[in-house]
Amino acid sequence: MEVFIAQVINGISLGSIYVLLVTGFNLLLLVAMIIHFAYPQVVVFSMYIIWLVLEVTGNNLILGALAGVTSSILLNLISAPLFQKVMEKRGEVDINSTMVMSMGIGMIITDVLSHGFNKGHPIAFPDTLAGGEAILRVGLISILPGQVSAFVVGVIAVSGFFLLLYKTRPGRAFRAIAEDPNGARLVGIPLLKTGLQSYALSGLLGGLIALLLAALIGSASSGLGEQVALKVIAVSIIAGLGNLVGGLVVGLSLGILEAIVQGYISGTWSNAIAFVIMLLVILAKPTGLFGLKL
Amino acid sequence: MSLPLYYFLAITAVNILMSWALYVPYRMAHLHFLIVANMAISGYTAAYMVLSLHLPFGLALLAGFVLGAVIGFAVALFIGDAPTFAVVIVGFTFIYITRTVIENTEAVGGTMGLFGLPNIGGSPSVHRWTILAILYGLVALVGFLIHRFDHSQLGRAASAAFIDKDLTTSLGIDIKKMGILLQTFSCTLAGGCGVLYGFIYKSFHLDYFTFHVVGILMTVIFVGGYTTLWGTLLAAPVLYGVPLLFPPEVASWRIVIYGALLIIVLVLKPEGFITTRFVYGIESFLSRKRGKRTPLTKPQEDV
Repeated sequence: MEVFIAQVINGISLGSIYVLLVTGFNLLLLVAMIIHFAYPQVVVFSMYIIWLVLEVTGNNLILGALAGVTSSILLNLISAPLFQKVMEKRGEVDINSTMVMSMGIGMIITDVLSHGFNKGHPIAFPDTLAGGEAILRVGLISILPGQVSAFVVGVIAVSGFFLLLYKTRPGRAFRAIAEDPNGARLVGIPLLKTGLQSYALSGLLGGLIALLLAALIGSASSGLGEQVALKVIAVSIIAGLGNLVGGLVVGLSLGILEAIVQGYISGTWSNAIAFVIMLLVILAKPTGLFGLKL
Repeated sequence: MSLPLYYFLAITAVNILMSWALYVPYRMAHLHFLIVANMAISGYTAAYMVLSLHLPFGLALLAGFVLGAVIGFAVALFIGDAPTFAVVIVGFTFIYITRTVIENTEAVGGTMGLFGLPNIGGSPSVHRWTILAILYGLVALVGFLIHRFDHSQLGRAASAAFIDKDLTTSLGIDIKKMGILLQTFSCTLAGGCGVLYGFIYKSFHLDYFTFHVVGILMTVIFVGGYTTLWGTLLAAPVLYGVPLLFPPEVASWRIVIYGALLIIVLVLKPEGFITTRFVYGIESFLSRKRGKRTPLTKPQEDV
């Protein structure tokens, strides 16, 4: 039972990160109309930037965090014109071509990380980032500062995001574009500006996720982005593409499920089992459990 | 024949066939990355059959094709009419699951891989010529079949489905059946390629069956052109061959080069370098030279 409880605690913190990732991913999908497959790679790139700045500045956490968030926002904003250009060329919103484009971006980021940082070796973050010793330890059950921060920041960020989306003017603009881009244009909502805001906002979320991931898992490798990318898209599809509430529920559930499976079965198999479950859901119900919102 | 030339010719043929395996379902907007998983499954199974069960290569190759077809068909029953992103994620998930299963299965070498596949026909020279003959025979056969498909009613239906699935359905075309057919064909091809790939190097290692190979295949069809089979035929040798001429320090960045090329082409020339119009232009030119009717007008008359 102790293992189970410990793994549920691990799962909640991991699930919080999935929720943040899926929220950022869905935001781009709904407002900018792109399937940003490389969004998790952007997050992993930011993790590497955080690591680099920590190395250079002698573990200055504030500078590391700032660099991570800034790099994520910048990378997202740089890719924005490329996505817009592809859509212009096609003469219509074409989610598939933007997905291929983002796969290209993902290829570049992954290969740059595997060649350009730490001689291609995985990176490890200092213990100070994870917050050091456990806050609470009862038998096998322990609560680490990194887990608490992942959960708390996750809750604050997602709540803030939902508040922004449903209680503010820019949020109404985001939702209007998601519902009907042409209608939104007709009532005077600037599509380009709002689209760019969505890139910046998802970049901000990406930077936060990079920090939380660094604190939670304490290391990163160039292949991490691809693995996370797969899970994020799978969560998004299981929930229903663009479904923010569904993403929240499924992201959290997947985190808990994965952690529980990891508690009882060895590492690599646990990932495969999580993917098998996802695959079954995708095959049986491609529109997702909560329905498409596109 | 020198060893580098043999590897260049053999891997180019595999790249052409695998890119065509990706091209065929993409005719109706399905990016079917299950082919990479299929390649690994069939390849490892065939290698196991030859090494442990001592079955002949021909039977193993046939088993590879059949296994690819069965897996492709079974999966296509579920995703034959799924949206592109669902097909993509199913493919990626299969790659990941396949890798995990192989990594943890000692019978197929686990993380170490499988080594010591025998020469076909006894000597290394006969082995190489046999592999090349099979590969280029397949290139000719599959190329012919795809060419016929592109110029058939089914090909036109696939083109319509690429643009608008709902409209295509309303015209009476069964999208799901077409999806099942194209996906099964592509997986069958990938299964055979997996076996042949292993016999080129006489070994199997999981390092090949990664997301990198997806990137390479995607670059081949999008840079070459995804509307005609000729783009792939030209892009595969160029994209594989040119980096071999680079100095090692540049060649090691080839995935970055592929990614950049893919983005540049998508932005500047979304249909790739060899487009349908370009091919029709050449066909028209050749027909005029021979004093025949231009092929551009033929499909219109058929309608």
